[in-house]
Amino acid sequence: MDLGLRGKKAIVTGATKGIGRAIVELFAVEGVDIALCSRTAEEVESTVRALKQRGVNVVGEAVNVREGEAYKAWLERSAQALGGCDIFVPNVSAGGGFDSEKNWTRNFEIDVMHTVRGCETLLPHLEKSGSGSIVIISSTNALETFGVPQAFNAMKAALITYSKQLAQHVGKKGVRVNSVSPGPIFFEGGAWELIKGTMPKLFDYALKQIPCGRMGTPEEVARVVAFVASPAGSLITGSNIVADNGFTKRVQF
Amino acid sequence: MDDFWERSKAPGFTPVPRVKPEESPGTPLEKAPDPELGHGIIDPRRYFSREFMQLEWQRMWTKVWLLGGREVDIPEAGDYLVTEIGPESILIVRQRDGSVRAFYNVCQHRGNRIRGCGIGTTGESLSFKCPYHHWEYELDGSYRRIPDIDTFPQGKPAHALTEIRCDTWGGFVWYTLNESPPPLLEYLEPLPRHLEPYNMHKMVQTRDITVEWDCNWKTSVDAFNETYHVQGIHPQLLWYLHDLDVQIDCYGRHNRYLIPFATLSPRVRKPPSIPEPIKTIMKAAGMDPADYDKPIGEIRRDVQRHKRAYGASQGKDYSRLNDDQLTDDFHYLIFPNLSLNVHADDFWIFRQRPHPLDPDRMFYDIMTFELVPDGKEWPERAEHKRWKHGDKTIGLVLDQDAENLPGVQAGMHSKGFKGLWIGAQELRIRHFHKVLDDYVYGPQGKPAGAL
Repeated sequence: MDLGLRGKKAIVTGATKGIGRAIVELFAVEGVDIALCSRTAEEVESTVRALKQRGVNVVGEAVNVREGEAYKAWLERSAQALGGCDIFVPNVSAGGGFDSEKNWTRNFEIDVMHTVRGCETLLPHLEKSGSGSIVIISSTNALETFGVPQAFNAMKAALITYSKQLAQHVGKKGVRVNSVSPGPIFFEGGAWELIKGTMPKLFDYALKQIPCGRMGTPEEVARVVAFVASPAGSLITGSNIVADNGFTKRVQF
Repeated sequence: MDDFWERSKAPGFTPVPRVKPEESPGTPLEKAPDPELGHGIIDPRRYFSREFMQLEWQRMWTKVWLLGGREVDIPEAGDYLVTEIGPESILIVRQRDGSVRAFYNVCQHRGNRIRGCGIGTTGESLSFKCPYHHWEYELDGSYRRIPDIDTFPQGKPAHALTEIRCDTWGGFVWYTLNESPPPLLEYLEPLPRHLEPYNMHKMVQTRDITVEWDCNWKTSVDAFNETYHVQGIHPQLLWYLHDLDVQIDCYGRHNRYLIPFATLSPRVRKPPSIPEPIKTIMKAAGMDPADYDKPIGEIRRDVQRHKRAYGASQGKDYSRLNDDQLTDDFHYLIFPNLSLNVHADDFWIFRQRPHPLDPDRMFYDIMTFELVPDGKEWPERAEHKRWKHGDKTIGLVLDQDAENLPGVQAGMHSKGFKGLWIGAQELRIRHFHKVLDDYVYGPQGKPAGAL
């Protein structure tokens, strides 16, 4: 099946490691031009260098998405550099944390507001695309209780609601909006590697919730995102696609 | 996990920034020259031979200074503590003049122990009455009263309680069974200057636990003298400390290493968020991890700066400590059996004591102390608890050590084990055994073929 991604232009945030990195790797293989960012300049440089070897146009900058104006300016620059934007994947997250009230501010500003600002800034470009598609990265923590009542879970839930409403709002302009909710995804340098190392009991508990006893990989999430983002997924909008290897127990009618 | 030497070449391996020796107001930071101790194997029989255990007792345990207890636990005349070393029990007593004296805890009548292990007070009597036949002693060990003395035609013994040397330093009472010991401060050299800048006298004891462990006392000492085992036994600490950039300093009898805390080991990848163990350090310093936006690699220095800036307002005097002491583990071995994990806000002392009869067993004492901020009420000291290997948890990290050590001890006995193969990260183990040999074999050195 041809996903129809060749020649598309995608902007992905937080794309030097983990799920974000796997998404841009797959996009590059599929012939998508890419603009990416992360906090660390060296990591951006090495990722850009690696992706360029796939023969696509890749640009990247070190950006702290929490700084709204600088972030929006980077999005505009990226759309200009790529000559437009067909796909937007806001992927950065502040991650979990249950330390203080500041966790709420942090997850709100990073998870929610970077997504909202990104969508609002790029919509004019996505509308021009003809196959504009936004894929918001949420989490199964938004769907079922897990761990502690932390900001991460609630803010990821906010993203699913936002995604649905935005899909209704921009559908007539030919832009699709979906969210993807991965379950536990294990990779080196990822949150679950840290949990395995520092909280082995929590890790084992999570692993037991997965029927086949295996956490997902970033590449598996990337394939879901790529399909939803691509013209091949043209019928899907306003959906939340759960990719969790059976981690959640609810029935999704 | 990749090999360390691969990682050490990678950009991720950067040495931890350290305070320069000339910038330390108290504790010396100079790297001591590494002693030339060769590369030989250490004979495993040292860990289970009864003959060697006897040599240790005769030539080492009865010659060195040992930690008895804490001065603050026996503040008033008549307050006492009983501590045990090998087959001996020692009674340490606060005198009427405020001084401290120590005696073998044995009644001169029939040999009964006068008091059981622990802390107590004579109360108003200011005397010790042996429970067996009520022979009664003054605080200075002399006789106060022997019941029915007229039934002893020979009168009372010419000697009373047998006194041993004791002294105080650092808020602790020290004792020695050596009849002609070096002065305590000379024995501890050069550590008093290292440890005095800490506020030891402002710390309250928060744990006082004795666990009987199924291993030789040296098997346990060794386990605390290298960070090489962190990757194997304490993997979670790789997200808490730098196990490779560790400064090792060997002095005459004692040694130390300096382990950077609040930082990542280069053995692990940079995680996406601040690891919980490092968050704990930040919170203890009064920082909010949720409000921290910088890379993890900067946390250690920022914790140091934060404590420096806010310590005084939290009632904590760090003026005599350098910045590294505000985060790092300054870990001292006071020969032969004290491991001190020294930090700005707390002290953990682990003491290894030999079993009186069995070289395959030992007593592991956990004594932890926490700084009581100025203006805060002095809390009650923790009560002493005692149990056997594995009966109860002593915290994740120490449980991990405890679980591993019986296997090490069993392996020492194996015909298939030739001896301890010690690397550079384990230099303190080699140094410890050299000092032990100096006691056991004397200045003429270890004879060929000796254990």
